[in-house]
Order: sequence, then C-alpha cells, then structure tokens
Amino acid sequence: MPKTAELLPGTLDLLILKAVSLGPLHGYGILLRIGQISSNSLDIPQGSLYPALYRLEHQGLIAAEWGVSDNNRRAKYYSLTPAGRRRLREETAGWNRFASAIAAALNAVPGEG
Amino acid sequence: MLSRLRSLFRALRGRRRFEQDMAAELEFHIAQYTEDLVRSGLPPAEAARRARLEFGPRNTVEENCRRSRGLRPFEELARHLRYAVRLFRKTPVFTLTALATLALCLGANLTIFAALDAIVLRPLPFPNPSRLVTIFNTYPKAGVLRDGSSIANYYERRGRIPAFSSLALYQETTAIAGLPGATAREPVTRVTPDFFLTLGRGPAIGRSFTDRELTFETDNVVILTDQYRRRYFSTPAQAIGRQIPLDGVPHTIIGVLPPDFRFLSSESRLYVPLSSSLADRGSLNRHSGGNSRQLIARLRPGATLAQAQAQVDAQNASLETQDPQAAMMAAAGFRSPIVPLHADHIASIRPTLIGLQAGALLLLLIGAVNLANLLLIRAAGRARETAVRHALGATRAHLTSEVFLETTLLTLAGSLLGIALGAAGIHLLSTLGAERLPLGAQIAFNPRLAAAGLLAALALGLVLAAPVAWFNLRAHLSAAVSSQARGGSASHAAQRLRHAFVIAQIALTLVLLSTAGLLSLSLERAAAVPPGFRPDHVLTGQLSFPGTQYRTVSTLLAFNQRLLDSLAHQPGVLAAGTATNIPLSGNSGKSAATVVGYRPRPGESPRGHYSYSTDGDYFKAMGFSLLEGRFLTAADSRANRRVCVVDQDFAQYYFPGQSALGHRLFEGSEPGPASDAFSIVGVVSSVKQASLTDPSAQGAVYYPFALRPDGAEFIAVRAALPRSSLAPALQTAVRQIDPELPVTNLRSMQQRIGSSLIPRRSPALLAALFALIALLLTAIGTYGVLSYSVLLRRGEIGVRMALGARPAQIRRHFLALSLRLLAAGAILGLAGAALANRAIRSLLFNVAPFDPFTLAAALVPIAAVAFFACLIPAHRASRISPRDVLSDS
Repeated sequence: MPKTAELLPGTLDLLILKAVSLGPLHGYGILLRIGQISSNSLDIPQGSLYPALYRLEHQGLIAAEWGVSDNNRRAKYYSLTPAGRRRLREETAGWNRFASAIAAALNAVPGEG
Repeated sequence: MLSRLRSLFRALRGRRRFEQDMAAELEFHIAQYTEDLVRSGLPPAEAARRARLEFGPRNTVEENCRRSRGLRPFEELARHLRYAVRLFRKTPVFTLTALATLALCLGANLTIFAALDAIVLRPLPFPNPSRLVTIFNTYPKAGVLRDGSSIANYYERRGRIPAFSSLALYQETTAIAGLPGATAREPVTRVTPDFFLTLGRGPAIGRSFTDRELTFETDNVVILTDQYRRRYFSTPAQAIGRQIPLDGVPHTIIGVLPPDFRFLSSESRLYVPLSSSLADRGSLNRHSGGNSRQLIARLRPGATLAQAQAQVDAQNASLETQDPQAAMMAAAGFRSPIVPLHADHIASIRPTLIGLQAGALLLLLIGAVNLANLLLIRAAGRARETAVRHALGATRAHLTSEVFLETTLLTLAGSLLGIALGAAGIHLLSTLGAERLPLGAQIAFNPRLAAAGLLAALALGLVLAAPVAWFNLRAHLSAAVSSQARGGSASHAAQRLRHAFVIAQIALTLVLLSTAGLLSLSLERAAAVPPGFRPDHVLTGQLSFPGTQYRTVSTLLAFNQRLLDSLAHQPGVLAAGTATNIPLSGNSGKSAATVVGYRPRPGESPRGHYSYSTDGDYFKAMGFSLLEGRFLTAADSRANRRVCVVDQDFAQYYFPGQSALGHRLFEGSEPGPASDAFSIVGVVSSVKQASLTDPSAQGAVYYPFALRPDGAEFIAVRAALPRSSLAPALQTAVRQIDPELPVTNLRSMQQRIGSSLIPRRSPALLAALFALIALLLTAIGTYGVLSYSVLLRRGEIGVRMALGARPAQIRRHFLALSLRLLAAGAILGLAGAALANRAIRSLLFNVAPFDPFTLAAALVPIAAVAFFACLIPAHRASRISPRDVLSDS
C-alpha cells in the first residue's frame, strides 16, 4: 500500500469539486476518482465524504440528480454548477499560490534572507 | 443565499423524502464498496463487515449530513419546544396561573392601548394632519373659557393671516332630510367652501362649494357622505345633480365624499354651505361665536404655530381699536388662541387614557413580578434536575437558551390568550361608553394591536427568563446535586429576590388600589352634587323647527300652547314645559346679561351666564326649588311680560345680602332702552349646566320664550310614576300637531345625569377592575412564595419541632415574615401612591390627591390578602411532623 497523506482542512471540498468537474459522479465514484487523480496518495475517511457533499449541494456549488449506475442500481449523481465551476477556479488559483509560497519558504537556503 | 434557503426549505418540507434518499445513497455506497472488496478477493461476509467499518458510524455520518443541510437548529428547536410543552403539562397549576396572569395583564393593556392608539396616537386621516389647527375665542375673566369663532372672525381672517394656507368655518347642526314620508332629523355640517381644501380631502366625485353659494338665496346645494348616498343612489355618479329636500327645501347634490371620509368625531351625513348675511359678517357680530361655529386652518408650509398666533393677535389688536366694545372685551381678557386640531379635539380624554394606560402597565408589572417569582420557585424546584443535566454534559449555553425558549413559549401562549381577551375588552369599552369619546368610534381590534401584543410577549419572555437563567447559573456554583436544595448562597440570594418581588407587588397593588379608590370617591362625590333640580321621573326631548313653516314667533307660541295643552291632558303627567336649553344637554354656551344699577368692581369684567327661554311649567316639570318670588309660566309668554327668573348663583353674585326681586336686567352686554329691561320676579335653585362638577357658579337667567324665541327647544315632562309609555305619548302628541316634526334626543333627566358621569364612572370602573386583578395576583404571589419557603425549610422546621418548638411558634414565625413583607410593601406603596395620585390630580373631584382615608382603606384589602395568603402555609408549617422530615433525609 502506498504511503498516504492526511487531508488538510478544507481541501476535501476542493477535491470533490475537481472530481465532479470531469463529469457527473455518484458519491462512491467521487471517492474512486479522487483516489485515481491523486494516485491514491490521500487518505479520505469515507464517512466525511457525504456531509461534505451535502454541504456543497446546500451551497449550490454542486447539483444532485438520481440516475442509474453501471450495474443498474439507483444512484445519486453529482455535477458541478456554474457557481461551483467559478469556485473551483478561484480555489485552485488560491491553492496554487499558497502551495508555491509554502514551497518557496521551505526551499529557502540559509544566508539568502 | 437564496439557493441555501431553497435547499433548507426543500429539506424541511420533504423531511421523509430527505431521510429516505440519504439512507439509499449511503446504502448504495456501502454496497458498491462491498462489491469492490469481494472482487478483490475477500469473502462476502468479511467484505460487508470491512465496508461498514471503514464507512464509520452511520448515525454520526447521517447527523453530520443533516447538519450540513442546516437542519440541526430546527430539530433542536422542535425538541426543546416538545420538552418545554411536556414540562408545562406536568405542572398544570403553575401553567394555568401563568397563562391566566399573562392573559389578564396583556388583555388589559391591549384594551386600553386600543383606545389610546385610536384616539391619541394615530394621526387624523388627512394629509399632513399635524399642520391642522383650530382657533377659538376666549374671555376668561368673564367666565367664558371657550366661545368658538364668529362668522365675522372668518371673513376678517380669511386670506389675511399669512401663516395660514387656508382657513374654514364649520358648524355642526341638524336638518330634517329625506323624501316626504321618510324624513328623519340628520346631523348636518355647515361649512365654508375652503373646508375640504383645508382638510386636504374633498368630494370623491363632483365639486366643493363656491363663495357664491354662501348667501341664503343660493345655498340650496349639498354634498353627501358616501354612507348617506348609499341610501338613495347605487353609485356616487348617479347622485350628482339630483335633488334632496332639507328642512323642506330641495337641495341639489353637487358632490359625494369618499367612503372613509370622517371629520373628527362628526356623525354628519350631509354637508351644506355655511351661508350668512352681510350683517352676520360685520364687525358688530365679531364676538357672537356662541360655540356652535368653529374655525379650522392649515398652517402654510414652513410657518409655525407661534407665527400664526402672533399674526392673529396683531390683527385682533388692530381691529379692536375701531371696536366700540373693545374696552369691555379687553376687560374680559379676550384672546383667540390657536391650538393643534387633533390635540384640542382629544384634550378632555387624553389624561384619562394616559392614566388608564399607566394603570394597565402597572398591572402588567405586577403580573410580571408574579411570574418571575413563580418561575424562580419552579427553577428552584428543578435545581437538582438542572444540575444533573449539567453534570451529564448539557452546556450552560444550552441550559440558558432552554430557559429563554421555555419562558418565551409561555409568554407567547399567554399573549395569544391576552389578544383574545383584548378583543373582548374592546367590546367592554364600547359598553362603557368609549364610542362617545372623541374619535372613540375608531376604536377597533386591528393587526397593529395583535402585533403589539406579540412584541410585548417576546420582550416579556426575555425579561422573565433573565432571573431564572441567573438563578440556574448561580445554582451550578453550589453543587446542588450533593447538597440539599436548601442552603448555599444561590438559594439565599434567590430567596431575597423572591421576597423583594413580593414587596414590589404589594407596593404596586397599593398604588393601583389607592388610585382606584380616589377615582371612585371622586365619582361618588360628583354624583352627590345636587344638580339644582329633581331629576326623577322627568322625560326630556328635543324639537328643531324648520324655518320654512315656523317663521314667526306666533307660530312657535301656538305650537307650544297646543303641545303643552295636549301633554297636560295625558294621564299621570304632573307638569310640562319647554326651554331652549336644559341642564346637561351638552350645550353649555353662555351669554351676557347687564344688571341695571350694578357697578362692576375695578378690573371686573362682564360675566357670561347660562340663558334659557322657557314656556309652560318648565320649572315645575324639572323640579327646581323656588327660593323667592314666583316661577315663570305660560302666561308670561302669552302676555309678553318683560319678566325673568334668575338662579341663586346669579342673585348672590349681583345682589349679595339682599333680595334680587324687583331688580332689572338687560339681555346682552349693553344696557338698552328702559322698556327693554326684564324685571326679576323669582329666584330658583342654582343649576349645573355643563356637568355636575362645574367648577364655578356661573349664574343663570330664564326669560319668557315669547321675548327670546329660538328655532329649537327642549320639552320637559314630569310624570307621577316612571312610565315607559311616556316617550311614545310625547312623540304622538307632537305628531298630532305636526306630522313632519320628529322628537329627538328623548331621554330622562336621570339618564342625562348618568351619561354625564360616564367620563368619571368608566375610568373608575376600569381602575377598580385593574386593582382587583392586581390584588388577586398579589395573593397568588404571596401565597406561592410563602408556601415555597415553608417547603424549603421543612428540614429546619422539623428539627426545631423535634427540639421542642411549639406549632404556634412556627406559625408566628411565618406570620411575622408575612407582616414584614407587608410593612415594607406598604411603605413603598404609600410613597408610590402619593406620586401616582398627584399625577392624576386633574381627574379627581373634591378629593385631595393625598387622601389619608383612601390610603387607609386601600391598605385593608392588601393587608387581608397578605394575612390570608400566609395562613395556609403557616398552618402547614406548624403541622410538619419531625419524624417525617427526619426519615426523609
């Protein structure tokens, strides 16, 4: 099993938005998709996924619709709303800025400052 | 934001659906995961176990999901409410007492507030109503405080007072209106053309009057109110141009007012021009206002009342320089004050309403104190439960919010009852005569009142919860779980607070009791004032002769003679007479009389006197006592004798220490030719004209009707026994002479006296009612606190009894406690009563604001309540068995 990292607070929402931005998915599919796009390097407690989904739906960032899964079961599919797409763009940019700032700080060599 | 609300709303509405969907979704997740695990090689049972384990505790996940959808607070609220309702149902006596207290106190407040709001607070229904003013003439040194305005005043001021944008004169009168056969005497207002312009509202259809319609030849036009229009025409437009007879003369309808038009408290159904002759408009008639005509004006934008007053004063001063009566008017203190229309209209009732509202608020305060006490006792009883719940993890914020929720629930439920009671109270007000108050017809239940009631309940809930929340927080400090409920600083502090509340309650109730006492005493003293006549078995009615048929004095005299003859032959009639005014008729206008040979003292001005023209046996019918000389009779009118009768006040003012008989006087403020003088032939008992509580002895003069005739008069009939058939008999007697002449205002003199006392009786009744409720609340409060204190100290009492204390000693202890509370409450209450009674001084009659007798009398019921409220608890304390107490602990 590959080594996994703990999630930072607030990043789960961002990952969900990213996952559904690639196409409508049900809850379990979102979990798989996050694993796939993060090369299974993030540890996502399954129980915390659904409250996050409900919160995002409540905020109007994703929309839910009942559909049929690959194996012919009734499943609830989530897709990104325009507001969600906007939020994803902003959060991604913010995250990138944050990450590069942290990286730059951590890469600093003594004597340069 | 909107989408969140929508999603929350959806979740709340489809609560079952939400739960089902959530369960299905989570189930789907676990099933999928299980399948994947099986595919990776795990046995199915192990796969299902792993899947559930990794998913985490299902309940927590679901709860978190609900919270994400914003459902949590609602669930908690619903749970809290269910809990509170269950608690309230467990203590029905407490709950019913609290609800009844709230309902009574809020209901009383809403009832009075309905009147205060309709009469004092709500602005008049005209544009910019605060710019409307009224102007009247006053001659204070002649005893005439208010005399309306004259036609001359109107013509002299119209367009000449820059601070007024418009000015109008109006006169409330009556006319016989309607088609022949269906005529009735209707209230009518005569107005100048600018009347509607001044108010800012006029006919909805048609036009207002013009200046050309202000002469007697051209004034046969009329504007209808919408209510009157409905009687004859289905639409307002149909009425325009049609004719309607008024006093027998056809009048053309030129306008119809909007349905909601109402000028102050006017009952008028028709508006006609206030026509006048050139003589009426002249300066000689400047001071003949006579209270029936009133001037209103609208202040120009930017102009102030003070500017208008200065301009009117300046004009009065310049006009008086050319006036031969100037010196006399100056001596009488003549002025023309300008006052806001609304405030002036309600001035007589405003202090009463404010006083009653203050009384109702006092009642609310007593009720609130009572509730606070009951809630505190209840909280103390639950201290252990609270402490246990606290120990089991309920946070302080949680417990405190619960207290606030519970109390607000209680006050809101109470306020709903209170609103219902208030609506009933408004009906009670109308039976107490509120509709006859100025603007009183506007009193009605409306959403504003309901909103005020709910707001008050919310505020009350917060205020009442505060001491309980405080108590709960303090109670945690002393670990109530381990110790007995008694002991600890919190319960001592709470006990002190409860006692303070009882003291406050006793004090406030004493204030209400003493105020109610003073008002009833005033009523009693007012009712005991001798009116100057014997009001029993006297029926009175009013006649107004249409000028068209009754143009001459002889027709009027002939009518009177026929009527009085006919009445004299009715069985049981002792005496019958007529007069142009009768006591307590509502008209208390005065006019001047000049006594021959009387030299005014320096600075003394001519006085206004009540003046009457009588025919027949008016004095006998009314039951005036004869002090000197003789009464006037029908013979004086028939023979045109220049004689008159005066009352005792008049005689004592002009002829102190000597007989008034044989002295002569002129009608009016000027002496005339000697042949016009009236000789005084009798002195009768003094009359109370305006009200039984008339402050000054005004004096009265009675003239023979023939020499001072009028187009309207009252009939007075004295019967041997009270007879209900007398009124129809009187009407029949009049109709036999003139079938088109209605008798109006038919009432016995006792009824007139009764209604003249309504402004005193109704507030006294309401105050007594408030005081009674307050007394009841105090009894409940004192009883509750003392019983609780016995309960708290059961252990201590048991020990004391075990150590040899006798039951009488225990009883005495609690009686002493009750007496201490009573004494403290009484001292505070007496101080409060002194202040409150000073504030209502203007409502009192012949009673000093600080009346020791009333205060002592108010102390009796409150002392009785305090005593009896403590009897049962004290008795119960003395019956405590030491063995039971000791085995309890």
